[in-house]
Amino acid sequence: MSDALIVRGVHKTYNGRSVPTPALRGVDLEIEAGTFTCIVGPSGHGKSTLLHLLGGLDRPSAGAVHAFGEDLSKMSDARLARFRAERVGFVFQFFNLLKGLDVTENVSMPMMLAGRSPREQRDRAADLLASVGLSEKAHARPSELSGGQMQRVAIARALANDPEALMLDEPTGNLDSVSEAEVLAILDELHSAGRTIVMVTHSPEIAARAERVVEVRDGLIA
Amino acid sequence: MNDYRLVLRNLFGSRSRFALTLTGITVGITALVVMMSLGGGLRAQIERQATDLGANLIVTPKGWCAYEQVKVLSGNQLPDAIPPDEVAAIEAIDGVTVLPYLTVGSAIDNEPVPVTGVRVAETVAAKRWSVAEGEIPAAGEHGVLAGAAIAESFALAPGDSLTLRGTPFTVRGVMASTGTGDDGVLFIPLDVAQEVYETSGRVSFLAVSVADLSAVDLYAQRITDAANVAVISDRQLLASVLSVVDSVGTTLTVIAAVAVLTAAFGIINTMLMATLERRREIGILKSLGSTNARVFRVFMLEAAAYGVIGGVVGLVVGTAASHIITPLIAANEFTAFVGGARVSALPPLSDMLAILIGAVAVSTASGLYPAWRAARLAPVEAISYE
Ligand SMILES: Nc1ncnc2c1ncn2[C@@H]1O[C@H](COP(=O)(O)OP(=O)(O)OP(=O)(O)O)[C@@H](O)[C@H]1O
Ligand SMILES: [Mg+2]
Repeated sequence: MSDALIVRGVHKTYNGRSVPTPALRGVDLEIEAGTFTCIVGPSGHGKSTLLHLLGGLDRPSAGAVHAFGEDLSKMSDARLARFRAERVGFVFQFFNLLKGLDVTENVSMPMMLAGRSPREQRDRAADLLASVGLSEKAHARPSELSGGQMQRVAIARALANDPEALMLDEPTGNLDSVSEAEVLAILDELHSAGRTIVMVTHSPEIAARAERVVEVRDGLIA
Repeated sequence: MNDYRLVLRNLFGSRSRFALTLTGITVGITALVVMMSLGGGLRAQIERQATDLGANLIVTPKGWCAYEQVKVLSGNQLPDAIPPDEVAAIEAIDGVTVLPYLTVGSAIDNEPVPVTGVRVAETVAAKRWSVAEGEIPAAGEHGVLAGAAIAESFALAPGDSLTLRGTPFTVRGVMASTGTGDDGVLFIPLDVAQEVYETSGRVSFLAVSVADLSAVDLYAQRITDAANVAVISDRQLLASVLSVVDSVGTTLTVIAAVAVLTAAFGIINTMLMATLERRREIGILKSLGSTNARVFRVFMLEAAAYGVIGGVVGLVVGTAASHIITPLIAANEFTAFVGGARVSALPPLSDMLAILIGAVAVSTASGLYPAWRAARLAPVEAISYE
C-alpha cells in the first residue's frame, strides 16, 4: 500500500506571547492510505499539533509534510486552503459548527468553498445527513442538537467533498457513551469503505480499535 | 449556500450590533442630506430674492456688513437710519427711481412677524406683485397688504383687523405668492409706518432703479455725493450675502463630514468587534478550506452592505428630516426667508447618488482594516479551544 501521509523531520514551535513553545521536535511518520490510525499521548505533548500539520491546517516550522503526493510545505496559502477544502476533512472535539447556519448549511459549507453549485450542495448534504442518521434535523440549528448529533453533523460536513482522509481530534471527548458508540460506528463504516482515518484520542479502548497506534510524547513519536 | 447568504447571516446574526452600526451610518448620511438641502435652500432663496428686488442699487447707511445686507433680502427688522432729507436729496437726482423701505417688526399672537413700510402702490408696480384678494392700501391708511405665506399662516383675509405695535390696522389685500421672502411680510404704507413706529421720517434702506443701466456707477457716485450713505449694486449685494451663506454652508458641510467620519469609525469598530467575536467562525471557515481572500471578501461585502443600507435609509430619513428641520431653522432671524424657505431645496438626484456612492465608499474603506485582520487570522488558534 502507498503512503498517504508522510512527515519528515518536522518541528513546530509556537511563538506565543511570552516564550516560544516547541510542540513538535523532529517527527517522522508515514501513514498508509486507507488505514485507521490513532494518535495518543499525554496532554500538551503535541498530538493536535501533529494532526493540524497532517491536514494542512498549519505549517511546520521545519521539515516537510507530504499528503497524497503533494508537498504541503511548498503550497501557497490559497492552494493549502484548497487542499483543506477538497482532500481532508476535520472533526474537532468541540464540534465547531457554525452557529448562525442550520445543519444543511453547515454541511454545505465545504462544498460552497470548493465551488459546487447550490443544487449539488443541497443534494449531497441531504445524502450525507441521511448517512449519519440526521435527515429529520436538516433544518435545525446547531444549538437545537445534542452533542452526539452535533458531532455527526460535523462528520457529515467533513465528508462533504469526499476527501481522501478524515482528521479527528478527540471527536468523542465531549460525548456520552451512547453517542460515542454511534460516532465510532460511523468511523468504522468509513474505514471499511476505504477512507484514511487519523484520530487523536485519550481513550485506550478507542485506540484499541485502530489498526495502528502512534504515541506522541514530548513532541516526538515515542 | 453562497457568500452573499453568508454575508446576510452575518449582518443579521447580531441584531443589536447591526442596528447600532446602521444607526451610526444613517445619522451621518441624514446629517449630510439635511445640511446640503438647507444650504441649497438658502442659496436658491437668496438668489430669487435678489433678482426680485427690482432695483439696480441698494442705498444703505454707511458701515453695514453682510449680516445686515442679508436682512435687506429677508425683510427682517433693521434700524431706521436714513433721514428724510437724505432720501429727498437722492430722489432729486435725475434718472433715479427710489423705493424706500422701513423694515420693522410686530407680533401676532405672540409670534414675531416682519412688517415693512413701503410706498405700497409704487412698490407693487416696481416688483410686479399681483394682489390675489382685496386691494392695495392707500397712503396714510392704516391698511395692510399681506404676503401670501404670512396671510396663510395667520388666516388673514381682506377686512380682518389686527394690531401692529398697539395700533389697529385692517387687512386690505393679500398678495399672490411671489416665491420670495416677501411672502412672509406684512406691508403697510410707509408714512403710516413712520408715524406708528416713530422714526421721524427715517427709513431703513432704499432700492434704487436707474434710467440708464450702463451708467450705474455714475449714479452710485452721484448718490454718495448727495447723501452720507453707502451704495451697493444688486450684484454686489448678492455676492456679499452669498459669501455669508456659503460660509454657513461650509460650516454645515464640516458638521456633516464629522458625522460621516464618526459613522466610519462606527463601522470600523463594529467590524473589528465582529472580527473578534467571529474569530472562531473564521477559524472554522478556514479549517473547512476557505481562502484568506474569501474571508476578506465576505467581510468587505458586509461593510459595503452597511454602506448601501445605511446610505439608502440615511437618504430617506435625511430627506424627511430636512422637510421638518429646514422650516424650523428658516424660522430664525437670519434665515427668515420664511415664505419660500419653508420649502427646502432637496439635493439634486446627482447629489443623492453621490451621497450613496460616498456612503458605500466610506463603509468599504472602513471595512478594509477589519477585513484584513480577519483574513490574516490563523485558524488553529481560533478553533482549538471552547
Ligand atoms: N496556538 C498555540 N499557541 C501557542 N502554543 C500552543 C498553541 N497550540 C498548542 N500550543 C502548545 O503546544 C504544545 C502542544 O499542544 P497540543 O495542542 O498539540 O497538545 P495535545 O497533545 O493536543 O494536548 P491535549 O491532549 O491537551 O489536546 C502545548 O504545550 C501547547 O500549550
Ligand atoms: Mg489536543
